Amino acid sequence: MKRILVPLVVALAMATTAAAAPRVSGITVYAASSLTDVFPRIDPGPKYSFGASSTLAAQITQGAPADVFASANTTIPDQLFAKGLVQKPVVFTRNRLVLVVPTSNPAGIQSVYDLRKPGTKLVIAATAVPVGSYTLQVLKQMGLTASVLRNVVSRESDVRSVLSKVALGEADAGFVYSTDAKTVPGKVQVIKVPAWAQPKLTYAMAIVASSSNKAAAQRYISEILSKAGQAKMLAAGFLALPKKKTG
Amino acid sequence: MSGRGARRALLGLAYFLASGVALAFLVLPVLAIFVHVSPGKLIDQLSNPVVTDALIVSLKTTVLAQALILLFGTPTAYLLASRRFPGRSLCVTLVELPLVLPPAVAGIGLLAALGREGMLGSSLDAFGVSLPFTQSAVTVAVAYVASPLYIRQAIASFEATDPHLTAASRTLGAGALRTFFRVVLPLARGGLVAGLALSFARGLGEFGATIMFAGSLQGVTQTLPLAIYAEFDQNFDAALAMSGVLIVISAVLLLTLRIGLSWQRSPSTRSLSLFGTSGSA
Repeated sequence: MKRILVPLVVALAMATTAAAAPRVSGITVYAASSLTDVFPRIDPGPKYSFGASSTLAAQITQGAPADVFASANTTIPDQLFAKGLVQKPVVFTRNRLVLVVPTSNPAGIQSVYDLRKPGTKLVIAATAVPVGSYTLQVLKQMGLTASVLRNVVSRESDVRSVLSKVALGEADAGFVYSTDAKTVPGKVQVIKVPAWAQPKLTYAMAIVASSSNKAAAQRYISEILSKAGQAKMLAAGFLALPKKKTG
Repeated sequence: MSGRGARRALLGLAYFLASGVALAFLVLPVLAIFVHVSPGKLIDQLSNPVVTDALIVSLKTTVLAQALILLFGTPTAYLLASRRFPGRSLCVTLVELPLVLPPAVAGIGLLAALGREGMLGSSLDAFGVSLPFTQSAVTVAVAYVASPLYIRQAIASFEATDPHLTAASRTLGAGALRTFFRVVLPLARGGLVAGLALSFARGLGEFGATIMFAGSLQGVTQTLPLAIYAEFDQNFDAALAMSGVLIVISAVLLLTLRIGLSWQRSPSTRSLSLFGTSGSA
């Protein structure tokens, strides 16, 4: 009884206060940090665990009770798929890498090239974390690897830690997703990464092989891929999927 | 008669089972780490630069933090132990507060106080000092979370020294400073060492405040616990090996402490030994 009542009450409360109502409940979704705000907005029903995709993957490998895994890249879900830990991943959104600086911009950074200035305090994510590897790709593409990595003062454990170090004004700059920058309006300035240096930045999700509720997990994935789900992703600043169907 | 005997046997069995469960629970994770990493693998990982860098950063910052704790904590503890003044218990509570703070709260607090945008950040900036992301930030975080362990124990040890001996020393003509170094400090030594070992171990394990206040960069601010967390994602073996290294260091520390303490508990110093104090502290 309680099991039915509680979600019902939550659903009612949600229906009156916000537009989103939980549709899928009783599952646990492991999702990349960059999805922290948008996923519960699409469906507040499931239990969420947000973190670096790499950390979540390590937890799933160690037997964490996840039903759905949503990663900020395609490589990690593909690796888990190859090991039989998740079902076939589907691409569900895209994103863009940007440079953020504190609103006060203490280091006077105007472009990615300014990161070469000696003494600049740059924070990036650890290499294993998707956003960290995208960052290295951008720097390599722009021929800045050596000159900019010299100024890295911290390799953070996920994208939101990079963002908070910049938003707090402790770091001079950091690479995050454009969608993350939107979550701290007024705290950071966004500097674009040139389009030609943008890495291919696609997100994929999959049903975890050990899930005991695969039907609900599938319904959740369909919900993210649905028109309404995708509209919320776009509203949060994520990019539309390429025209060519992937699934 | 036989009923009482049976009950006693049952009680004994219950004690035995409960301690068996407790012991297994406490030993199992440590054992599992060493089952996963063979000694050979552990030695191999000692040449992994991530591991060696983290080990060096950890030892450097922890040793430096302990030196600071000793330097500032000892007089603080002596003052709090030997003087009675209004607000004393408030002071003791404030000194002990970081002990019960969640490390994440300590990290936020350090950022709010000493960060670039923090309370004292702009004054530090004026001197050209910026703490976050430096090795000094790690030392500060370690000192912050570890010092209460030392100071607490030091207060208890100083309080347990026989005031008659101090008084005798003074009546025999020794000054306050000489009395402190020649009488009080030797008497309290066992307790001080115990406190220092505990605070050393706590400092070595520091994680939350460090990752928030100092960030994580190999060879600069990435301590062993931070490196374990980072490697968990990509190289589980390295994470296991580093955990093994930390266990060995901590065990050696604990063992040294035990041996040191039993040596301290010699009959001649029994009435002053720290066991009387640490047991009640």
